[in-house]
Formats: sequence, C-alpha cells, structure tokens
Amino acid sequence: MLNILVLGLGQCGNRILDSINSEAFGGNGMFAKYYSNQKFPASVKTIAINTAINDLKGLKCTLAKDRFHVPHLHGVGANRTLGKKVFEDNKELIMGEIDKRGSFDLIFIITSTAGGSGSSFAPRLVEELKAAYNAQIVCIAVLPFREEGSISLQNTAFCIKELIEEKPNGILLVDNQYLKKYAGDIKSAYDKINETTARRLLFLIEALNSEMLMVTDLGDLKTVMNGGVGIGTMGFYESDNGNTVKSTILGSFKPSGLLFPANVYTEGARAMLIIKGNKKYLDLDMINKTIEELSTEVGQVFKGVLVKKGPAKVLSLFTLNSIPELDSLYASAADAIRTEKVKREESKKQLDNAFACIEELEPIY
Amino acid sequence: MNSVRILVIATIFVFMLLIPVVVASGNDSYIFDNELQVNEGITIETSIHIEVVDVNRIPPERAKFRITSYQKPERTITVFREDGPQVNKYETYRGTSIYFDVIGVYSDSVQFSVSGPSNWRVTDYYDVETEEDLEEVADAVTVPKLKITRTLDIASVQQGQTVKVTFKIKNEGNGTASEIELDESTITGAYMEGCPASLNDIAAGATERVSYDLKIIDAEPGTYELNPTLLNYKSESGASYSSESTSNVLVIVAEEVLVPELGIKVTIESDDDVITCGDRFPAIIRIDNIGNATSGRVTIKSHLPDDVRVADGEIDPVYESIKPGDFVEYDVTMIAYEPGKHIIKMDVLWADAEASASAEFWAELSGFDKYYIYILAAIPIVLILLWLIKRRREYSF
Ligand SMILES: Nc1nc2c(ncn2[C@@H]2O[C@H](COP(=O)(O)OP(=O)(O)O)[C@@H](O)[C@H]2O)c(=O)[nH]1
Repeated sequence: MLNILVLGLGQCGNRILDSINSEAFGGNGMFAKYYSNQKFPASVKTIAINTAINDLKGLKCTLAKDRFHVPHLHGVGANRTLGKKVFEDNKELIMGEIDKRGSFDLIFIITSTAGGSGSSFAPRLVEELKAAYNAQIVCIAVLPFREEGSISLQNTAFCIKELIEEKPNGILLVDNQYLKKYAGDIKSAYDKINETTARRLLFLIEALNSEMLMVTDLGDLKTVMNGGVGIGTMGFYESDNGNTVKSTILGSFKPSGLLFPANVYTEGARAMLIIKGNKKYLDLDMINKTIEELSTEVGQVFKGVLVKKGPAKVLSLFTLNSIPELDSLYASAADAIRTEKVKREESKKQLDNAFACIEELEPIY
Repeated sequence: MNSVRILVIATIFVFMLLIPVVVASGNDSYIFDNELQVNEGITIETSIHIEVVDVNRIPPERAKFRITSYQKPERTITVFREDGPQVNKYETYRGTSIYFDVIGVYSDSVQFSVSGPSNWRVTDYYDVETEEDLEEVADAVTVPKLKITRTLDIASVQQGQTVKVTFKIKNEGNGTASEIELDESTITGAYMEGCPASLNDIAAGATERVSYDLKIIDAEPGTYELNPTLLNYKSESGASYSSESTSNVLVIVAEEVLVPELGIKVTIESDDDVITCGDRFPAIIRIDNIGNATSGRVTIKSHLPDDVRVADGEIDPVYESIKPGDFVEYDVTMIAYEPGKHIIKMDVLWADAEASASAEFWAELSGFDKYYIYILAAIPIVLILLWLIKRRREYSF
C-alpha cells in the first residue's frame, strides 16, 4: 500500500484538501462525517496548513488534528516575502507536524499560486520535504482569475518560478480562470473546481494503489512528470453508455475536460492514462491500439486499466513541452510588475515634490 | 233593671229548648242499660215489650229487637253498635218516643240501653218462649250440651318449648254427657303429651277442665292454626252429639341457637390501592365475633401470592377465644416483589367452621424500575449523541 501525504496550503489548498476529505466519505453529503469514516483508496494522510486561522475554521470535513495553524495573526495577506519569513520561523513546527504522520511514497502539495501563505510555503516545503523524505512530490498549483489583479499575477509568476527551481517531480496546473465556466458565481465555481480536482486526485491515488489489469505505477508517474517542462495538468472523461473505449480515451484529452487550457496533441510531452470501469466496456485490444495511435502524437503514453463497476472513465495526466497560456501569464505579470514599478516611482516622485514645498520650512505656532 | 230580667228569661228559654235533647241522649233518662241474652225480653211501663231476637258479631256489629206495644203492630228493628240513640227511635201509640243504643255485642247477648221519659221504668224481665223450648217441655227429654273452649298458655313459642293446652268443657244441657271422646289433632313437629282421648261423664251444668302439654320439638318456625278440637259424646238416651272448639293460632319462633360466628376482614393500607414493588406496606386483619356465643380456639391461615412476603408481624396468629360482639385486630407488614394484581386470602377457622376474606391490591414497579426500560432505551441515544458530539468536535477547529 502506498503511503501518501496530501498537504493543502493556504485558503485555496485547504479548501481543495477539504474537498478531498469530503469526497473520501463517498460523497454521502454533509452528515457523513457524523457516522462514517473517510475511505481513501490508499494510506492517505492529510494536513491543512495555513497562517489564517479563519480559513482553517471554515473547513468541514478535515479532522481538527489535521488542521495546522502556523501562528501568524490574520495571515500574511498576499505578501510572499512575509509568508516565507513566517515559514522560516515555523519550519520546525511544520516539519514536526508532518513527521508525526510517518513516511511517504508520494506527497501532493496543493496551493494557489496567487495568495500569500500557500504560494510562499509551497516552494520551501518542496525543498524541505525533498530533504526529509524519499518521496515523489507533485504540486498542484491553482492559478488565479486573471482579473484578480497584479499582485496575484506577480505572486503566481514568482511562485511557479520558485517551484520549478525546487524541482518537485511535477507541477499540475489548475486554472481558476479556465474553469470559471463551471459556475456563474465565484463561490460555486470554487466549490466545483475543488470538487473536480479532488475527484481526479483520488482517482489517481486509487489507480496507483490498485492491482491493475494493465499496470502503471509511481515509476510511470515519475517518468510522465519528468517530461517536458515538468508542468502538466489533468483531463477526464466519463463515457456515456455506448461510447467505445477509444472515444472515451480520446475524450479525456479534449481541452474542455482539462484543468488548464492546453493542446495535448501539439504541446503534450508525456501522458498517463488511467482507464477504469466495468470489464465489458474495456476492450483491451482497442485500448492498446488507441494508446499506440496517441503515442505517435503525444509521445510516451503510459496506461493503467482498473476494473471496477460502472461505466468507463478515463483520467489523463500529462506534462507539456510548451505552455503558451503560462507564457502570456508571465508576460502579463511582467507588465504588471513594470507598471507597478513605474507607478510607484511616479508616486514617490510626486510625494518628494510635494515634500520639497516645505523644505527648509519650520512649523510656526 | 229591665235588661237584666230579659236576659234571665232568655236564658231560661234556651234551657227549656235544650232539655228534650238532653233527655234523648243523656244518662239521666236511661230506662234500661244492661245485657240481655238472645230470647230474653223486658217490659217497660207494663205495655212496651222489647225482646232480643238475634245478635251478629261480624261487623257491623248489630242486634235485632222485636218491639210490641199497646195499639201498635209488632215491629222488628236492627240497631248497629255505636250508631247512637237518636237514629234508633220507637214511637208509642200516644206519641212518646224511646231510643235504642247498642253498646256491646257478644256471641249470644247484647248490652244495650233504652232511654225515654225519665219517670218510665222496666216493669218485667222475661224469657221468650221458643218453639224448641215448648218441644223440650213437651217431651221432657234430657239433652247434654257440651261447650268446649280451648286455651293455650302462650301464643308464641320457641323451638323446644312446651305449650300448655287447656280445655274447659261445660255441659250447658240438661242431661249428663257420657262416652265423651276428645279428638285433638296437632301440627307436624309438635308432640302431645298427656292429652286424654276420652273423658269422664259430665253432668248437666258441670264444668270439666283438662290440659295437656304440647311439645314443640322440630316444627318449622311460622304461624300455625290449631284445628278445632272435636268432642263426640252421647246423651243418656244414647243419642250422639258433637261439638267443636274454636281454632287457635300458635306462632312458633325459631329457636335461638347460641353459636359463635366469626367474620374476617383484611385491609391493605396504601395510597390509591397501589403498592410499590419492594416497598413495605401494612395490612390490618380484623376478626369479629358476630355470633352470640364465645368462640373456642381461633386459628388464622393466610394464603399469600408467591412474591409476597411478610416482613414484620405474625400473619397466622392463634386466639384462645373471642367473646360475642368482640373482635381482635392485628397488623403485619408485607412486601410484594412482582408488579401486577395481587390477592391476599385469609381464612379464619374455629370449631368446625371457617370464614375467609381477601384483599386485592396492585403492585407497581418503583419509579426507577418503571423508567428502567426508558433509561435502557436512552442509553444508545445518549451514546449516539456522545458519538455525534465527539465527531463534531473532531471536525471543529
Ligand atoms: N480553486 C479555488 N481557488 C481558490 C479558492 N480559494 C481561493 N482561491 C484562489 O486562491 C488565490 C488566493 O490565494 P489563497 O489561498 O486565498 O491565499 P493564502 O491563503 O494566502 O495562500 C486566488 O487566486 C483565489 O482565486 C478555492 O476554494 N478554490
């Protein structure tokens, strides 16, 4: 059995983690926590880490002992510099809390890139965890709505850069902006995004921890995550009855099913497909043929087939060679930083001019 | 002065008016006031003859008189007792009235009064010559006539007592009665002792008394009529006669038996007849001697339900005796263990009789026992609640 640690950092990470815990109840609703236990498809430990105690309080399905408050009154705002300092001050505490949960084969770090706590803690945690555990580390980074403002963009830009520098096994992107289509208002959109992300993660964990008909494993995951720039995302497709397994597999690559906008066929580096469902829907020959076809276009494609009741479902996980969307995000971020810098200098100049008016004057009473 | 004289005259006049009324009804002018036998007569002022023809005792009691007087036809009048003199008037040829009043009617005589002018007197008493008398005189035959009267010394007797029955036999005839046989019947359950079946001859005018004992042995209590006694006898000439006494009534009352009679009563003291299981409760047992004799040894025997125990006191005591009208009372403390209806039965035994009584009560589980089931049912609920609270706390930060 795999030992997996899921860390949710900051409000966004906390809430997605809470969704994972909620989904682990089997989707039995709000009251499941009163009579049921979470049933993870592996040995899964979860910790919600935050500097803002209110964010931790807002969680519903995460055990209190699994909520770790990094003491810093009212959070760090969106200030990554402050966040890093708070992390540094509490590193021992945080690592101690993780250490209580034993050793791990695979660690997921979930965070938004735009906030203060999560985005500053994540790179530092990757570094610390790599040093402490011989585990694969996969970051799930949630990108902000683009209209959230320049600080969000700046934070995202620096967070991803720092993450890549720390070389986790991989970064899977979840783009709020792209997934805004899920719901009309932000609150519902968050819930839907969190739930979707949680389900896909649990699907992946289940697959990695199961006896599969066609096997894919942690090694394969590592290989896939190593592909391209080490950044990727997840797709998903559930067949309507009557769909062939081929169309289901291809469906999982459709951009509309991805958590981040990408074109797998043109930008994909490596992919992993996990096919799950009733055996009668799983035509192995067709699966093999489809994967072969895909490999010619996408590159290396790993596959796992999991026999479970229900219709065929396919989770696709891949890394990308190039990320145009990220490029434009960085461009925007750079613009924002520059504009900010100019604005600030102007403001300073104006203020200096203003102060100049009273230079060498003394107040007279 | 004048007015006084007028008042005196008026007063005298009123008196004069009242006098005839007083004469007609007053005592002062009684001409006759006595008893006459049937067929006896009186003569008033030598011309008015009054004879008793008949008497009748069956109400309305009355007597019939035959009246003859100078220049008037024979007349018969019937006078009812207590009718008063005014309504029974007889007028003579000269227009003078006499009044009759019957005071008492007997079996063959009547007491009556005749009132009229105060100077009138009874001038003669005489017997009416009947045809029978004439016949007797003609034949000069002697005939005995026995009159029998039976008397009982007591009219009401108890079982086991003896009644003395006496016959008074009077020979009212003019000849000796011989071969007198007395036929006396009796009631079942009574025995005659010393009742003669035949009597010695009784001479004319003689009276004989005979008595015997009537022992009431086992006659049913009630009111009995003793049939008339029959006397059969013969005259000297050998003619047979018989006469009967009247019937008598004899009341036999039940013999008062002296026996003790015990009654037992059990009282359970409780609020609204409900007892709590496991709690002590008192029971009072009272034995009354409602008989008329002192009882011998009295034994009490209890029959308790299986789950009822005596906690304190002797429930089956023995008493040497209980006087009539007296009672004994004792109490015991008991405990019932099972819920439900209970019956406590108590027997009292004396001589060869017994009586019993029972008391009923309900036993209920105590407050705790009663709610035990609820408490039991509440435990899982509480556990679930505690579990929920625990879970809630596990998930609240
Ligand atoms: N998908 C998703 N994004 C969220 C959620 N909450 C906050 N975010 C995003 O996270 C970013 C803000 O970071 P946050 O996690 O709140 O800051 P932190 O607590 O300082 O790390 C913004 O881009 C939000 O759009 C959430 O529940 N779901």
